[in-house]
Amino acid sequence: MIEPTRDHYQDIRLFTARGSWIKLILLLVVLVSLPLLLPGYRVFTLNYMAVFVIVGLGMNVLVGYTGQVSLGHAGFLAIGAYTMVLLMTRLAVPFPLALVMAGFVSAFFGFLLGLPALRLAGPYLAIATLGFGLAVTQIIAHSALFGGHMGLVVPDATVGPFPLSGDVSKYYVIVGITFVLALGVRNLSVTRVGRAFRAISDSEIAAATMGVDVAYYKTLSFAVSAALTGVAGGLLALMTGFISPGVFTFTLSLMFLAMVVFGGLGSITGAVLGSIVMGYLNLEMDAFQELPVLGPALEGFSERFMSTVGLPNFGWVVTGMLIVFTILIEPRGLYGLWIRALDTTKRSKSTDADLSRSGPGAD
Amino acid sequence: MLPQVLASGLSAGSIYALMALALVITYKTTEVPNFAQGDMAMVSAFIAYMFLTDFETGFIFAFGVALVFAFLLGVGFEGLLLRRMRKPTHLNLIIMTLGFTLALFGFAGWKWGADQRHFPFPISANEVIRFGSVSISTLSVATILIAGILMLLVFVFFRFTKLGVAMQATQQDPIAARINGVPARAVVGLTFGISSVIGTVAALLTAPLITLDPTLMWDALLKGFAAAVLGGLNTPVGAVLGGYLLGVIENLFGAYVSVEFKSVVAFLIIVIVLWFKPSGLFGRHHERKV
Amino acid sequence: MSFFAVDGLTMRFGGLTALDDVSFEVDRGMIFSIIGPNGSGKSTAFNCISGIYQPTAGKIYFEGEGISGLAPHHIARLGIARTFQNIELFSTETTIDNLMLGRHQHMHSGVWSGVAMLGRATSAAREETENRERVQWIIELLDLVRVRDRPVGELPYGTQKRVELARALAMEPKLLLVDEPSAGMNADERAEVAVRMRELRAELDVTILLIEHHVQLAIGLADRVLALNFGKPIAQGAPEEIRQHPEVIKAYLGDG
Repeated sequence: MIEPTRDHYQDIRLFTARGSWIKLILLLVVLVSLPLLLPGYRVFTLNYMAVFVIVGLGMNVLVGYTGQVSLGHAGFLAIGAYTMVLLMTRLAVPFPLALVMAGFVSAFFGFLLGLPALRLAGPYLAIATLGFGLAVTQIIAHSALFGGHMGLVVPDATVGPFPLSGDVSKYYVIVGITFVLALGVRNLSVTRVGRAFRAISDSEIAAATMGVDVAYYKTLSFAVSAALTGVAGGLLALMTGFISPGVFTFTLSLMFLAMVVFGGLGSITGAVLGSIVMGYLNLEMDAFQELPVLGPALEGFSERFMSTVGLPNFGWVVTGMLIVFTILIEPRGLYGLWIRALDTTKRSKSTDADLSRSGPGAD
Repeated sequence: MLPQVLASGLSAGSIYALMALALVITYKTTEVPNFAQGDMAMVSAFIAYMFLTDFETGFIFAFGVALVFAFLLGVGFEGLLLRRMRKPTHLNLIIMTLGFTLALFGFAGWKWGADQRHFPFPISANEVIRFGSVSISTLSVATILIAGILMLLVFVFFRFTKLGVAMQATQQDPIAARINGVPARAVVGLTFGISSVIGTVAALLTAPLITLDPTLMWDALLKGFAAAVLGGLNTPVGAVLGGYLLGVIENLFGAYVSVEFKSVVAFLIIVIVLWFKPSGLFGRHHERKV
Repeated sequence: MSFFAVDGLTMRFGGLTALDDVSFEVDRGMIFSIIGPNGSGKSTAFNCISGIYQPTAGKIYFEGEGISGLAPHHIARLGIARTFQNIELFSTETTIDNLMLGRHQHMHSGVWSGVAMLGRATSAAREETENRERVQWIIELLDLVRVRDRPVGELPYGTQKRVELARALAMEPKLLLVDEPSAGMNADERAEVAVRMRELRAELDVTILLIEHHVQLAIGLADRVLALNFGKPIAQGAPEEIRQHPEVIKAYLGDG
C-alpha cells in the first residue's frame, strides 16, 4: 500500500484533474461575456449578486469554518461602504486604495467585535452581533459625518486613468475582485489558517490540544470575515452610487446568514451558490410575478387572500421557507444535496463491482 | 425631571420585561434563543388588527382571538418545525428561528403591506395622568399595570399550579420528570405557546404606542434579549428585573447623555455584561465538562 | 530533575473531589500507566496535564518547567500531545487533514501567505507539501493509507482511534498522553494496541503516559504504574508490585 511517488502538492493544488483547467477557462469566458449578452439592467443584478458572493465568502469563514454565528454582518457592510465613500469624498483617496482601506477598517471592527465574542457561545454571540449590527446603523443614522438618514452620494470612481461609469465597467471590476477573493479564500481554507479555523468548529478542545490558539483564531476569523464584507460594502457603494443607513438592516444580516446556510455551511462552492440565489431573491423581490405560469397565479392568490401591494414581500417568505426547509431536510444545504446526489450515483455504479469482493470489514 | 424619566423607563421596561420573560421561559426549556419571538407577536397583533378593522369586532374578542392564535402559533412552531429538525445543534436551532422569523416578516408584509397603520386601542396614548410633578399617559400606566399583573400570573402559575410545577420540573430534569409521569414533549409545546402569548401581550401594548407595521417588534426583540442577557438567560425573575433596569437605564441615558444614541445603550449593555459576567447579573454560570 | 512530574495534584468540582493529592514522576522514554476503575480520576488527571482543567492545587512539571496554569495550546507547543477517551477528531475532515492539524505548531503560514498560495513554489505551498510528506510515514505506520482521504467521521471506531493516535504523533511530541487506547476493543485488537505502543516507543523518541481501564494491558505494557481509586493514589511502583498490591486487588474486586 506504500505510494513512494505521491506528489503531496497534488492535495492542495487548485486543479486536481486535467479537465479543471478547461472548466476554469469556460467559467472565465462566461463571466467575461455575460454582460455583453444580457440586457443592461441585468448587469446591475449581476453586480449585486457578486457583492453578495463576497459577503457569502466572509460569512462562510466565520460561520462555516469557526462555527461562530453573526447576525450583524450588515454592520460590516456599512462600515466598508461608509469608509470607502468618506475616504473618497473627504480625503480624495483614489478608489482602489479606498476600497482596500474599507477592508482594513472593517477588519479592525471585526477584530473588536471578535474580542467579546471569545467569551460567548451560541445564543449569546448571536445576540451580541445582532446588537452590533443595529448599533452601527443607529450611529450612522444619527451622525452628520455619515450624512444621517439622508445618506451619502458616492463620488465617481476611476481605476488609474479609466473612469468607472456604467454598470458594465463596474461589472468587470466587481466580478474580477470577487473571483480573486474567492480564489484567495479557497487557498486559505486548504492551508494552515483555514484548517485551524475549521478545527475550532469541530472541537475547540481538541484544536487547543493540537497547539491551536483558539482565542487568536476566533478573533482572526472575525477580522477576515469582516474584511471581506467590508470590501463587499465598498463595491456595493460603487455599484449603487448612493448609500444610506436604510440599506444595512437587520433583515439584510439575516439574509447573509441565510445564504451560507442555504448553500451549505463550510463549503465555498455552497456559499457562492447560496449567495447567488439569495442575492437574486433579495434584489428581485418581485421576480415571482414575472414567472410564466406561477406569476399570474401568485398575483391572483395575492389579490384574493393577501394583498397586491405587499406582493414584493413574498420574496421574504420564500427566503424564510428556504432556510426552514434547508434546516429540516438537509442541514448541509445545496452542497449537501450535491454530495448526496454524487453518493447515490457512485453507489449505483459500484454496487456490482463491490459484490464480487468480500463486503464488510474492509475499512 | 428624574421621577419623570424613571416613570418612562418603567413603562418602556415593562415591554422589555415581557419580551425577556417570553424569551427566557423557552430558552430554559430548550436552550433555543427564539429569534422569531418578536415576529410571532407581530403577526398575532396583526390578527387582532384584522378583527378590529376588517370584521369590526370588539376589543375583547379581537384580543382574545389574537392570544389564542399566538398560543397555537407557538405550539405549532415547536411541534411542526423545531422538534422535527434532523440535527438540532445550537447553530441550527438559532438558524431555524431566524428562518421562521423571516417567513413571518414576509407573510405580514405580503398580507398587510409595509405601511404604518394606526392600531385602535381602548386606552389612549395621548391622555395624561399627573402624579405630582410626573405626568404619564394612560397607555403607559396601563402598560405598567397589565405587564405587572401578567408577569405575576406567570409566576403564580409556575410556582403554585400543578401544571406549572410539573413544567418547571421538566425544565430542570426532563428524564426525571418523564419518570414521574410528566409528558416532556407536551410541556415543551406548552412552553412555546405560553411564551408566544406573553410576547403577543407585549406587541398589543407596543402597537398603539408606535404604529403597526411588520417591523413592530424588532426593537423590542433586541431589548428583550438585552434584558434577558442583563438579568441572566436562565433566570426568569432576573430577566424581568433586567427588563425594567434596561428601560430605566435607557431613559436615563436619553435624558442626560444623548437622545440620538439611546438605542445603542442596549448593545453596550449586552457587551459589557457579557464581558464581565456572562451568566447575567442574577444568573449562575455553567461550565462544559469534557 | 525528572522529565515529567506531578506534585500534589488536586482537582475539586464543587463538593466533589476528583483528584486528591496525586504525585508521580515519569522518566524519559518510559511507558507509565495510570490504572483505576471508572470514575477514579484518570481522565481528570489528563485534563489537568493538558491544561483543559486548572487544577485546584498542586504542580505539574515538564522538563523542569512548571506548566500548571498554562493554556492548552501552550502546553501542546511544549511537546505534550494527547488522545481522548471519547474520540475528539475533526469528524468532517479527512484523515490527512486531521494529521495536518497536528502539524499546526510546526508550521508558520498565516493569512496572507495562505491566501497567496498561487503555485508550487510559494511559501505556503512548499510548507504544506513538506509537512504532508512528513506525516506520510505515520499514515503508513498506523496502517491508514486506505483511509487517507476519507472524512474520519465515517470511519469505524477502531480506525478513528488510530487516526487520533496518528494525529497526536504528527505533533512530534516528547510526551504522549494516551487515554484508553483499548476502549471498546476485543482481545485481538487489544493485543494489537499493546504491540503498537511498544513499537511507538521503540521507533520514536517519545515517552508515553497511558490511561487504561484494562488492567492487564496497562500493567503488561508499563515500566511503572500508578493506581488510583476515587481520586486517591492507592499504589505506585513496578508492574509486578502493582499486580500483587492488596489495595489494587481490592479496588478491582469492588468494581466487579
